[in-house]
Amino acid sequence: MRRTTTRRTRARALGTLATAAAVALSACAAPVSNRTGTADDGYASWEDVAADARGQEVSLWMWGGDEKGNAYVDDVLAPAAADQGVTLRRVPVADTADALNRVVSELQAGQDSDGAVDLVWVNGENFRTGQQAGAWECGWTDLLPNSAYLDPTDPLLAEDFGTPVEGCESPWHKAQFALAYDAADVQHPPTSLTELFDWARAHPGRFTYPAPPDFTGSAFLRQSLYEVTGGPEQVPAGPDDDGAAGATSALWAELADLEPSLWRGGDTYPRDAAALDDLFAGDQVDFTMTYGPATLDARVADGTFPETTRVLTLDDGTLGNASFLAIPANAAHQAGAMVVADLALAPEQQLAKADPAVWGQYPVLELDRVPDDLAEQFADLAPSTVVPPFDELSRGADPELSADWVAPLERGWRDNVLTGQR
Amino acid sequence: MTALVTPAPHGRSGRRVLRARVEARAAKWGRRAGTVAVTALLLVPFLPILLWAFADRWPYPELAPTVWGVGGWLTATAQGAWPALTRSLLLGLTVSAIATPLGAMAGRALARGRVPYGKMVTALLLAPVAVPPFAVTMGLTTVALRLGVPGVVALVAVLVVAAVPYTTYIMRAAYAGYDEGFEETARTLGAGSRHVLLRVHLPLVAPALAAAAFLAFLVGWSDYVVTLLIGAGRIVSLPLLLGASASASGNDPTIAVLALLATIPPVLLLTAVTVLSRRRTQR
Repeated sequence: MRRTTTRRTRARALGTLATAAAVALSACAAPVSNRTGTADDGYASWEDVAADARGQEVSLWMWGGDEKGNAYVDDVLAPAAADQGVTLRRVPVADTADALNRVVSELQAGQDSDGAVDLVWVNGENFRTGQQAGAWECGWTDLLPNSAYLDPTDPLLAEDFGTPVEGCESPWHKAQFALAYDAADVQHPPTSLTELFDWARAHPGRFTYPAPPDFTGSAFLRQSLYEVTGGPEQVPAGPDDDGAAGATSALWAELADLEPSLWRGGDTYPRDAAALDDLFAGDQVDFTMTYGPATLDARVADGTFPETTRVLTLDDGTLGNASFLAIPANAAHQAGAMVVADLALAPEQQLAKADPAVWGQYPVLELDRVPDDLAEQFADLAPSTVVPPFDELSRGADPELSADWVAPLERGWRDNVLTGQR
Repeated sequence: MTALVTPAPHGRSGRRVLRARVEARAAKWGRRAGTVAVTALLLVPFLPILLWAFADRWPYPELAPTVWGVGGWLTATAQGAWPALTRSLLLGLTVSAIATPLGAMAGRALARGRVPYGKMVTALLLAPVAVPPFAVTMGLTTVALRLGVPGVVALVAVLVVAAVPYTTYIMRAAYAGYDEGFEETARTLGAGSRHVLLRVHLPLVAPALAAAAFLAFLVGWSDYVVTLLIGAGRIVSLPLLLGASASASGNDPTIAVLALLATIPPVLLLTAVTVLSRRRTQR
């Protein structure tokens, strides 16, 4: 999930723009607009799905920037799919919007079946854009046998960055935003972002954050917005709603005030999360941050990060999100795609990819529902001094803001904090 | 200039020769310095790529990698770099094989002035270069889908259209300076049309053909957006892999390896083309 949502490359901006344009166009052309995605193949039972799936080749379009994720799909998920008679072919894209563009183009051209995209790793903005275009197949997730391991009341799985999921995508991973610190340098770790900001002012030059629109830096902005407003429920639903301007101006005031105390006096910011990690590894700063804390162990183990690296536990919790697998409404191999989405939920698969050595993605399953022996293995998974277990890490997790917020916040930071002070 | 008008009893011409020699030498060194500077300008960006390709760890702000290794090569291999390289080679060669003869024919017709409204046709042929590829691709994807053209066929067709302006432009220039007298002479001496084509015509335009073929190859070799959207993801080429890898932070060794793989074949081809055309002109 890490970067499925908010990859901020120019290509992505272009892609989103083009998708939006295509959506608008297709709305005019109209053959597309009435397909709000019902299970038009009308699978009544899983047996039918499994039977249809045999022999199909499923094209999974997924963001290809995560090398471990690519390796997991190729080496673990694909062989398991092959056992069920489904060939899984991964199409790496620089941007999830590319996959959506292809689907929307097909729908726009009136291609209602036999589409080239069978499955997409998606969440947030791209999911919402696809929903608006009627690009996703809906109402199929309850058929998946392994969905029995999910908690139907889990809010992270019911809404995807504020967009109701409504059976149009099946959960794959959970993610938790986390800050990490070097316990050798930080004797009394802060328990809230406000305390962290105070710590930064007391220790000039020892804290900074990646410059938004870096994915992690952008998440830090949203987390900070929660802090200055008093929590997710205090933030207006959209960036143009009443009270939004007040919330953001408080955020910019806080971050601008913090700026002189940052690394290099805030004259410059690390360009991305990797640059911040390098600063942390080189003991230039005492904090780093990530939306994938499971990777911290490996970085401590290989000596990149100090052994005294610890995840900062915040009293009010941190941002959490889930990412999903969605099937386009016109996918050529819907049955095969459903088999893969089901397999992706299997406790064995969720366990395998939760291992930081394999991928380090948190499971979406409710462990109480998982067979005991497997649940124990989840618990035993890499007991860590660095990262607390996921249930502790995700305690009081804040839901993500609506995807509408992401871009305006990044622009606002650039205009008010990055350039506003000089 | 003053030296030239100063009367000198002996050696006015001698000085002139000396001056000319000094100037020639200065010009020669100037040219050399220029060549070195331009070469450096082209090569320096590759230095970090070369270093990163063999860096297992290179933390900021170190000047050189702290741990050397081939991790990037192993990861790139695991991500499918070699099959992607093969696919890209095939795609580039296919585009080149179609766009080069097309460009040669169009260029010849245009150079001979046999095309009505030749200037307009030239402008139209060059148009694909002027339009942003992303916009064109979005539209053409829909067109190809409506026409029911299979993805890979549509992909090659669109890339050929993108390559034809380059091949036409080069071949038009080549045919503008082409002396048909050679062909006539050969015919007068009894050569058949096949013979004329193979032994006279093609050898004369070979350097231009090679340059055109090289540019057409590059169009197929380096394309991202057409391959992905019109090609419907059927062909996972090297640029697709590179784009996906480079869209994340922290993959630097893999990105460097993929970037090297994407650079080396065109450089080799360019060298071959240059050597070939030099030999031709020297003969």
